Amino acid sequence: MMSEISNITSRQTGDSCVHVKHSSGLDIYICEMPGFSSTVALFGTKYGSVNTMFRQRDDEEMTVVPEGIAHFLEHKLFENEDCKVFELYAKTGASGNAFTSFDKTVYLFKCSKNWQDSLRILLDFVQKPYFTQELVDKEMGIIGQEIRMTNDDPSWRVLFNMLSCMYRSHPVKIDIAGTEESISKITAELLYKCYDTFYNLNNMVLSVAGNITAEQVLKICDELLIPCQDKGLETVFPEEPDEIIQPEIREAQPIGAQLFYYGFKCRDCSGEERLRKTLAASTAASLITDDASEMYQDLLKKHIINTTFDAEVFCGDGFFTVIFMCESDYPEEVRSAVLAEIERWKTEGIDEKAFQRIKKSTYGSLIRELNNVDAVANLMLSSHMDGVSPYDAIDMLSELTSQDVLRFAEEELREDRAVLSIIEKEGEKQ
Amino acid sequence: MRFQRTEIAEGIGFSSIIDEKFKTTSIAVRFIVPLSSETSAANALGMAALTTTSKAYPTPALLNEKLSALYGAGLTSFARKRGDLQVLGVSASWICDRYAIDGEDISGEMLSIVRGCLFEPDAENGRFSDEPFAITKTDLLDRIEAELNNKRGYALAKAAENAFRGEPAANSCYGNKETASAVTPEIAFSAYENILRTAQVEITIVSPEEIPGAEADFRRELSAIDRSPVPVVFRSKSPIKAEPETLSEEMDVNQCKMVMTMKSDSDDIYAMRMLSVILGELPVSKLFLNVREKLSLCYYCASGYSATKGALIIDSGVQRSNIGKAREEILRQIQLVCDGEISDQELESALLSREDILASVGDTPASWSSWYFERLCEGGISAPEDVLLDYKAVTKARIVEAARSLKLDSVWLMLDKEVG
Repeated sequence: MMSEISNITSRQTGDSCVHVKHSSGLDIYICEMPGFSSTVALFGTKYGSVNTMFRQRDDEEMTVVPEGIAHFLEHKLFENEDCKVFELYAKTGASGNAFTSFDKTVYLFKCSKNWQDSLRILLDFVQKPYFTQELVDKEMGIIGQEIRMTNDDPSWRVLFNMLSCMYRSHPVKIDIAGTEESISKITAELLYKCYDTFYNLNNMVLSVAGNITAEQVLKICDELLIPCQDKGLETVFPEEPDEIIQPEIREAQPIGAQLFYYGFKCRDCSGEERLRKTLAASTAASLITDDASEMYQDLLKKHIINTTFDAEVFCGDGFFTVIFMCESDYPEEVRSAVLAEIERWKTEGIDEKAFQRIKKSTYGSLIRELNNVDAVANLMLSSHMDGVSPYDAIDMLSELTSQDVLRFAEEELREDRAVLSIIEKEGEKQ
Repeated sequence: MRFQRTEIAEGIGFSSIIDEKFKTTSIAVRFIVPLSSETSAANALGMAALTTTSKAYPTPALLNEKLSALYGAGLTSFARKRGDLQVLGVSASWICDRYAIDGEDISGEMLSIVRGCLFEPDAENGRFSDEPFAITKTDLLDRIEAELNNKRGYALAKAAENAFRGEPAANSCYGNKETASAVTPEIAFSAYENILRTAQVEITIVSPEEIPGAEADFRRELSAIDRSPVPVVFRSKSPIKAEPETLSEEMDVNQCKMVMTMKSDSDDIYAMRMLSVILGELPVSKLFLNVREKLSLCYYCASGYSATKGALIIDSGVQRSNIGKAREEILRQIQLVCDGEISDQELESALLSREDILASVGDTPASWSSWYFERLCEGGISAPEDVLLDYKAVTKARIVEAARSLKLDSVWLMLDKEVG
């Protein structure tokens, strides 16, 4: 099979990149950015902490794996049979790294010199797993330390506490690294099972941006990519009801400032529909946290919020939430204000002038994203994994109306599907 | 890229960096003053008040509305610590006019907003307006309180407080709860006026195209101020304590933190920086490979060198039972360098990593801006390729010498609460 090459161009900005469906099965995105010195390459698989249940076309039964295994695998892939990957990057000067999120695992490097050698290292080691029980056992302690460290991070705890009250079955509620107990069940054999399932090039994407040419990138890909047969991967999530489990959760920690997350559980979707919904959701959230609005200024004057008041749309396979967050001693008052604002929209509608202004602001932030090598590489990779094109967001934004935002708020920002998660100062429990 | 710096008045530099690849323009106006416990909070608040409101935009809502209408332009004030100095300022960034859907003059409007904030603040009769100032002050107090939320950052701040006790660098760049609480709108305004009068000023614009009149506008505004700039000293090495001190704080945490401060009287800053890279800035550095990977004593164990204070700081996340072993191993790794144990590969990796970082300076507007500012603080304008030559000239012998100059000054520990 030959590789298929196509150009993707933004209607709004004229920016463009190349998409290649490589003969090996891999999707490749390349953005040449003249004038920039750096190169960023991301090699990712659509495999994150939520993928705990899966099967391939020929499997009779579902495989269920311990929580935290995707993250564990990411750590272990950095060790080759004969050396550690960081030792190889040290010879090119590149800065190598990796991360596991809820729905993806990504290996990356950033460099300004020798990018071709670094790309060879990246493509090579990700395709060459080497797991032994001895190495697995050794890693338990380090990851255990990581889990302990994140448990001291209030912004991490506040999120997972919220998710645990929001999702009954979906594994998004589980810490990405798992627990010390769950990772103790991980074996070398299980790592190979997960690797063979998810690190199939048909389930992966390579994104390269910066000081490169598409021709050079593809030449290296042709040399190093080992063709994979599409084995019909199917990931499954337990059935998740629309309802939440409980509306409020509190935890005390040794912190200086109390903080909260107030999240709305929304119905999930995928592909272009998810992107449209994300744009409507983030515009609704931006209108509510708009620092030019009367509500915001009123809450600020009364010190119910401070300038950390913000919002984000958090979504992926099988989950979609809109979260409001702030360091505040008055989370209940903020909750009331957010709900009152949504109710006001239902009777008065959304202020068109404010909507157009927020839209312009979002457009500006999307332009800024195209100004940065890291951001462009991440945009190409994430868009592909979300089933859309890199410039779809900027193009779809121009079509967004205030009615779309109102409809989203009416249907999804429901009080009975919202959770308030608070991290209180130790010794000040209510 | 074209860089040009002009001294537009005594103690005021104006730098223009034209780099056609960017889609945004940004400006940073930096004021450099001595850091002191008496003035740090007032200075930080005097600067923060400038970007809350201005004469032209007398409520935060009006100013924020204008910024979001200009395609979400960013406008912020900042206060940072640089050794014994406080670097305060206002920065802004916005997308270029060619991306304006409705043909707005974004650059013209933003430069006017920035100048308005700096030179026509929302103040009368020697005081900032009460209501916006109250918001600004509450926000700063909240920020001070929230420092404990980030345990690693808190540990580093406490370690600096202990290591540089009695020196300006022991202070926070925002002041503390008591000093910030005591700042009134009059005190903050007086601090602002004092900054305009006495600070060393560096204005830096990074843009894909020339912005006609920008320099002249700032020159005009600044020439109206009766200035008497106070010279500042960018490097002031910290004296070492007679005996290493260990301080600790106990709290209900899952992971303990250990910050070790080593001090040196060496002036060989490039050798010191290479030493820090070899010790603990890369995943192939000695501390990562040995303290974390080989002995599994810490989750992270990293080093950083502060040339301004002559201090090498090593911070780690560690279990309580491993603190003693980790400390011993960190000191042993430094001793190995003192004994000349640096492989050619370690030296080459450190240099390659420096080379790579230097080559990528200029890939963001902020990196260009801070690059030239930092070089000025270090004594002169130099391009990344000039600095690379300084790194290349560092020999193994110089790194060994640098390591031998280090002495343990202090250790700061965040301890978990022992059970039973």
